[in-house]
Amino acid sequence: MMIEQAKMQSLADRMVQDDVKGRSPWADARKRFFRNKAAIVGLPLLVLVVLFALFGEFFAVWSNEELDFAVMGQVAQMGAPSIENGHYFGTDDLGRDLFSRTVQGTQISMMVGVVGAAIAMIVGTLYGAAAGFIGGRVDQIMMRLVDILMSIPYMFVLILMLVMFGRSIGMLFLGIGMISWLEMSRIVRGQTLSLKNREFIEAARATGVPGWKIITRHIVPNLLGVVAVYATLLVPLMILTESFISFLGLGIQEPLTSLGALISEGADTITYGTIWQLAFPLFFFVITLFAFFFIGDGLRDALDPKDR
Amino acid sequence: MFAYVMRRLAVAIPTLLLLIIISYILMHFAPGGPFSKDREVPAAVLANLNAKYGLDDPLWKQIWDYLYGIVVHFDFGPSFVYPDLTVNQLIAKGFPVTLTYGILSFLLAVLVGVMLGVTAAIWHNSWLDYLAVGISIGAQVLPNFVMAPILLLIFTLWYRLLPGGGWSFSDPTFWIMPIIALATSYMASITRITRSSMLEVLGSNHIRTARAKGMPERRVILRHALKPAMLPVISYLGPVFVSMITGSVVIDMFFSTGGIGKSFVDSALNRDYAVMMGVTILLGTLTILFNLLVDILYVWIDPKIRY
Repeated sequence: MMIEQAKMQSLADRMVQDDVKGRSPWADARKRFFRNKAAIVGLPLLVLVVLFALFGEFFAVWSNEELDFAVMGQVAQMGAPSIENGHYFGTDDLGRDLFSRTVQGTQISMMVGVVGAAIAMIVGTLYGAAAGFIGGRVDQIMMRLVDILMSIPYMFVLILMLVMFGRSIGMLFLGIGMISWLEMSRIVRGQTLSLKNREFIEAARATGVPGWKIITRHIVPNLLGVVAVYATLLVPLMILTESFISFLGLGIQEPLTSLGALISEGADTITYGTIWQLAFPLFFFVITLFAFFFIGDGLRDALDPKDR
Repeated sequence: MFAYVMRRLAVAIPTLLLLIIISYILMHFAPGGPFSKDREVPAAVLANLNAKYGLDDPLWKQIWDYLYGIVVHFDFGPSFVYPDLTVNQLIAKGFPVTLTYGILSFLLAVLVGVMLGVTAAIWHNSWLDYLAVGISIGAQVLPNFVMAPILLLIFTLWYRLLPGGGWSFSDPTFWIMPIIALATSYMASITRITRSSMLEVLGSNHIRTARAKGMPERRVILRHALKPAMLPVISYLGPVFVSMITGSVVIDMFFSTGGIGKSFVDSALNRDYAVMMGVTILLGTLTILFNLLVDILYVWIDPKIRY
């Protein structure tokens, strides 16, 4: 580890020395990102998890719905991970192949994370940019509303909604997206306030560009850095939220599954001695979170060098 | 100061009302009432049930009665599923348990987190720093629902040191795993926040001045560095509190501690809306009050804030 660090450091130093000509802020940021050890670890981890989610099913011998009747009923003795019978990760307590279940769970958890973050990103950016751009009393009211919504314990409202309107993926997305845009809108509003008085916005106004077009064409593109970093950090939070809800049995429903649901199953069956049911989903859960946290932190430090 | 507190209260109270009204409306429009069972109930019986619980009144009157009961009598009404239990009784049974392990894990997370963070910052780039950062990175991806089965596996199934579930006020061995499971991931975040803010403060001018005039290092840290470094931590306490309350649901399910989260999940699965709303409102109130407290503490500590 020590040698690696020294190597990286010298490499990075040389990169800085070579580059005496003017550098764009993006090139600078890229350099700082790749100098960040955690981010360097995070990137291949993420690639690994994505590859596993996308192509894992091609290696699976069993599908995620098939029951292996040879194993069923004596999972603790025969369901352990083995290469011979094709259950690389073992089976769950119904005799389903845990490998393909984990692939599917990773897919769904990733999807929930990305879609949830995307919803938060779109709604939060537009709301925050609108509030900041319009300003005045409208801004006051819009942000006060955000304050109020933020102080509501949303997990409970989300659980209430899932119970009352049925447990569907759509509802889950809606609920998770609803929680997460609030913080985003605050950050975006702050950025917008400082962008609003710059010359290029003034120029756009002077040439008669309508307000919503200024927001979408001129303000939002300039927010991308902040928004991208925030979205990267939101993905693991969304995955955590979904896992929490799935753990309670209110999230993704069978035959679909998510890492949270698999962990929950593994935790329930832990007393039977089938530890692989917990270990494999947990492993993918943990490295996915690590990867996103590392990359998000790395991006933030890279784009904002003073905040370290 | 007084005016500030009053203004904050003026926001907190409508928030609370909004929470109650939103939950009630959600409940009202939910498909399938609390009495729709697997077996069809005769219409006359259903009408009687609805009349008994006041569910045939117009919506505004129901909400008004509900609010009136809560505000004036502190009465959340009867449970829909267990007719001989009131929501108040269910809450009174579970709440002390939740409160006990909740407060203890909150303290554990804050104290250990701050201590680790401060240690890491003071001995920046030493092995202590790396250890603290390592612990906090590892703990960050171990939320309560991951921590609980791991603890259970190690301490109950493998080493048989601690009881795997249940609760007893007189025997603290029942408390250990719930408290640790709930506290771990928040401890990690608090460590990270404390460390980075402490590093920032230690590099600032007033600390350099204090050191330059020969003040002992211990005094520099305790008198001058700690207080400003705590500000970001304090503003993080609100979210931590909320997530811990939410996390108590997992703890109750996992360790069968019988806290209030158990009533919540049971009521959610039984469609016992009265209990569900009671718990939501109670925890919502706690959250809002706690946020108020944090804001006041923040203003009190930070002289730069004008209120």
